[in-house]
Amino acid sequence: MSEHESDDQLLARLGAALEAAYPVPEAVLDAARATFTWRTIDAELAALVFDSAEEAPAGVRSAEGTRQMTFRSPGVEIELEVVSETRRRIVGQLVPPQEAEIMLHHHDETRVARSDTLGRFTFHDVPSGSVRLTCKLHDESGAVVQTEWTLI
Amino acid sequence: MCMAIADQKRVAMGVSSSMMAEAPIADLLAAAHNGSQEAWNSLVDHYGRLVWSVVRGFRLDAATAADVSQTVWLRLVEHSDRIRDPERLGSWLATTARNESIRVLKRQSRSVPTEFSVDVADEGAPGIDERLLDDEQLRDVLVAFEDISQRCRELLQMLCLDPPLEYEEISEILGMAIGSIGPTRARCLDRIRKKLERR
Repeated sequence: MSEHESDDQLLARLGAALEAAYPVPEAVLDAARATFTWRTIDAELAALVFDSAEEAPAGVRSAEGTRQMTFRSPGVEIELEVVSETRRRIVGQLVPPQEAEIMLHHHDETRVARSDTLGRFTFHDVPSGSVRLTCKLHDESGAVVQTEWTLI
Repeated sequence: MCMAIADQKRVAMGVSSSMMAEAPIADLLAAAHNGSQEAWNSLVDHYGRLVWSVVRGFRLDAATAADVSQTVWLRLVEHSDRIRDPERLGSWLATTARNESIRVLKRQSRSVPTEFSVDVADEGAPGIDERLLDDEQLRDVLVAFEDISQRCRELLQMLCLDPPLEYEEISEILGMAIGSIGPTRARCLDRIRKKLERR
């Protein structure tokens, strides 16, 4: 068969092989459908503008097992350190420093913390997976800022 | 029991999903943004395999690959009103899946390996489907595929996506000149062919 197999035929055979070998698990599709429940409309999105995990190995490198990220929205910056111990610890800093209600969303679980007057907050024992932070600022704007979903 | 509920849901969604399946991607995106879970499900039906294929191509373990796939869809949830060209949603998803996979790989390569092996569940590993072993034609081509360069594997994988991407989209995603996709495709397929001949 492979004697006269054209490029298109060979590619089709490869496509069929990949599909048969690595079928998409139904649980993965269910999880994709379920992400819709996280739809929010009114929050301002803070985009990931720095991630130490994105830097080249020779570049800025923090202590082993600590990942630094910065999320930026027009009004506030959220700096995070993800410290990988047995479970992850997230240490955050709001810039400018301010008190706010901080929610950590992780799969179907939401935890609440408060930043102190210096804008610092911490979440302990965070399992791996997709997370997002929602910050309800206590200033006169009362703005709600959300980070992008990020895999930790 | 969980299976039964999931099946019922699928049956319940069946009729309307097939109606939405014909809708243009732009309409599905808009409907999803306005709150239609049904439209969202249609997008997942259409592109779920594509996202998985891209992520899986990076040889992540099953649990991590599932996390990356979910992150990609979460990104789409938050960006559903910001997709500039809805007809190129496949390209946007493939790019996001690729970037997120690379980010995870970079992170894993510099972390203590044991830390990750603790988190990883073995269930549902994206291993080779046993049914495949019965089909020698498919098994052979897959063995040959696993033995070519990463660059070739990635290009061929992009060319096998369902729904397919345009050359122009693949060129952007892989940072490969559009004119070199055709020749590279031929060269990579030739490498597979040579390995098949040697068997």
